Amino acid sequence: MFEILLSQAANGIVLGFLYVLIAAGLSITFGLLGVINFAHGAFFALGAYFGLTLYQLFGWAAVPFAPIIVALIGMVVEVVLIRRLYGKEPLLSLIVTFALALLIEALIRFFWGADGKPFSPPDFLSGLVEVGPLLMTTYRLSVLVATVITLAALWMFLSFTPYGRILRAGSRDPEMVEMLGIPLPRVLTGVFGLGCALAAIAGVLAGPLWNVAPSMSASAIMPAFVIVAIGGLGSLRGATVAGLLVGLVSALTIQLYPEAAGAAMYLFMFLILLIRPRGLLGERWERFE
Amino acid sequence: MFEANKRKTAGMTLSRIFSHSVVGAMLLAAGMGAQAQDTGPIKVGMIFPKQGPSAAIGEFLSRGALLAVEERGGKVGGRDIEVVFLDEPNAQQAQQNFQKLVEEHNVVGVVGGNSSAAALAMTGVAMRTQTPLIVAGAAAREITGASCNPYTFRFQATVPVQLAGLMPILRKNGQDVYFITAAYAFGQDILNTGRALLKEADGKEVGVDEVPLNTADYSSYVLKIRSKKPDSVIGGLVGQDQSSFLKTWNAMGMKGRIPFYGIAVSDTDFWDVGPDASTGIYTKPWYYNDPDNTEGDRAFVKAFMDKYDRPPSDKAYAGWLSMRSLLDSIEAAASTDSKDIVKALESWKDDKGAFPAFYRDWDHQLIRPSVVVEVKDKIADKWDYFDVLQHTSQGLEDTLADFGTKEEVGCNMAALS
Repeated sequence: MFEILLSQAANGIVLGFLYVLIAAGLSITFGLLGVINFAHGAFFALGAYFGLTLYQLFGWAAVPFAPIIVALIGMVVEVVLIRRLYGKEPLLSLIVTFALALLIEALIRFFWGADGKPFSPPDFLSGLVEVGPLLMTTYRLSVLVATVITLAALWMFLSFTPYGRILRAGSRDPEMVEMLGIPLPRVLTGVFGLGCALAAIAGVLAGPLWNVAPSMSASAIMPAFVIVAIGGLGSLRGATVAGLLVGLVSALTIQLYPEAAGAAMYLFMFLILLIRPRGLLGERWERFE
Repeated sequence: MFEANKRKTAGMTLSRIFSHSVVGAMLLAAGMGAQAQDTGPIKVGMIFPKQGPSAAIGEFLSRGALLAVEERGGKVGGRDIEVVFLDEPNAQQAQQNFQKLVEEHNVVGVVGGNSSAAALAMTGVAMRTQTPLIVAGAAAREITGASCNPYTFRFQATVPVQLAGLMPILRKNGQDVYFITAAYAFGQDILNTGRALLKEADGKEVGVDEVPLNTADYSSYVLKIRSKKPDSVIGGLVGQDQSSFLKTWNAMGMKGRIPFYGIAVSDTDFWDVGPDASTGIYTKPWYYNDPDNTEGDRAFVKAFMDKYDRPPSDKAYAGWLSMRSLLDSIEAAASTDSKDIVKALESWKDDKGAFPAFYRDWDHQLIRPSVVVEVKDKIADKWDYFDVLQHTSQGLEDTLADFGTKEEVGCNMAALS
């Protein structure tokens, strides 16, 4: 029993890392822009579709361009639509971005079709890694590594670069940032693009793992919201801890009490929010209260 | 006091006049609707998934059904056919859309229902509104079993029929079986039926997982199955869940190690994941490349390929045959009256198939054998994934026996009213 629990725990942590990556973009969009982006899952799906198309047209080397394309689309969406939601009721952003999610899913269905698309990992990443009781596909391990690198790069970008400092300052006191002569609208466009790019990276990585289909956004958006709520709205560190915990809880529930598999992460969220209403690492933000 | 009573009486009179007017207007509208159905185009409803994980299946179901309309030149009984196509996103909305088809569009019959949960929700409205419903995709036994009614007919063979076709093949592998099924009506039917059949065969259940619909990541389930080392796995997953499971099953090195069996799968479940991940033995209602297909079947395959540049899945066939049976019956009834259409459906026979399929009069289940297929070792064609192993039955007697007796099925059909 111990062996299978160990194996499930390891598998859950890897799954958790993918959840973290999906949730990171959502957390940034909310934390820095104050927008609840329900279309985040749709950008995740777009990432998988662009990744697949680039692979089919130009091979694996072209796949990393998929998040860039999705980021550009996200920036256009920000200028046309999202910008109008800043400072408005959170409910409004929820409704508008929900409509946006439906629109993007319909566009995916229109351009790529309603059926799923076969998308396998590259040959050099296929195969299994077996260490004692632990069984992992090589591709899942690669996803783990890619996610850690992406999150580390994101943390360094936000913590140590001038642009990162402007983003963090803008999220706390946008008026002061503008008074310093920094063009905040352009910065915010960049932030939304960054959130979409993170969703797309997760989509590209998840494509060969899950099923590439128009409805794949639904598989991503609910865990992402749960993780952001557990971790604390806008907290990247919180999202990281919460993602790993959700992965772990989901995997162990499937092993020990499969009947509750569908409800496990929601129950976990409920318990955490009962104890800490702001989430694990959530802080008090004057802007939102 | 008197004045108050007078006002009350006047009020009652006014409210009575108002309510009579409303009833009158409703009757007038209904009459106008009926008149429109007597002279204008004949409206037929269609409810299949347009969005969500079953959208691809819904697309094939609707394409098949629309092809049946086209084959007749878009006419039935000399009048134009107008198809009103609404969505089946979930059971509740499917039920509401059925109601909408009847009350707002005055359809004379409906072809629809991919998920068993949605189909079961719709059968109640079919009965209440006395509207013929041909359930094209759902397999849960209740639809033509305990929940049967005079206005509901069903294309797909029931879960017990399809599972019984697999059991003799499955038992050759050994007695230890693991179930992984969807956590809703269809999956629960597979689990209960599978358990009963396993008990009869002295088999052993080594594990069960009832999986929430739209599960994206199956890796934890595969690890669990792997640790139990069963002789075979019986799956009851549908659409994207079936595809996601197969993808993970293959990625985790399980393909070819433990045989996988399933029922009521669709070709799209396999086309979606590609040849590398596809594996298993399945019962399906029909396969486009079955050597036993008749000229009629082949003509349908050709018409579908000409129009959509790909072969029809079994779901397209289900949509096609279901719609054909409804339109043929409207034609035979020479009427849009629902009772006449129901009677015509009870006498309808498919003259194009290898087996003269028909709806059994006491449960309205379509009686025809299913096909048992195995994923090819080497898939060379983009669409042709299966070898046909056998059919679940041959003659009429065998087929009727497969579909069960009145006692086994549990349908107590109400009188047509």
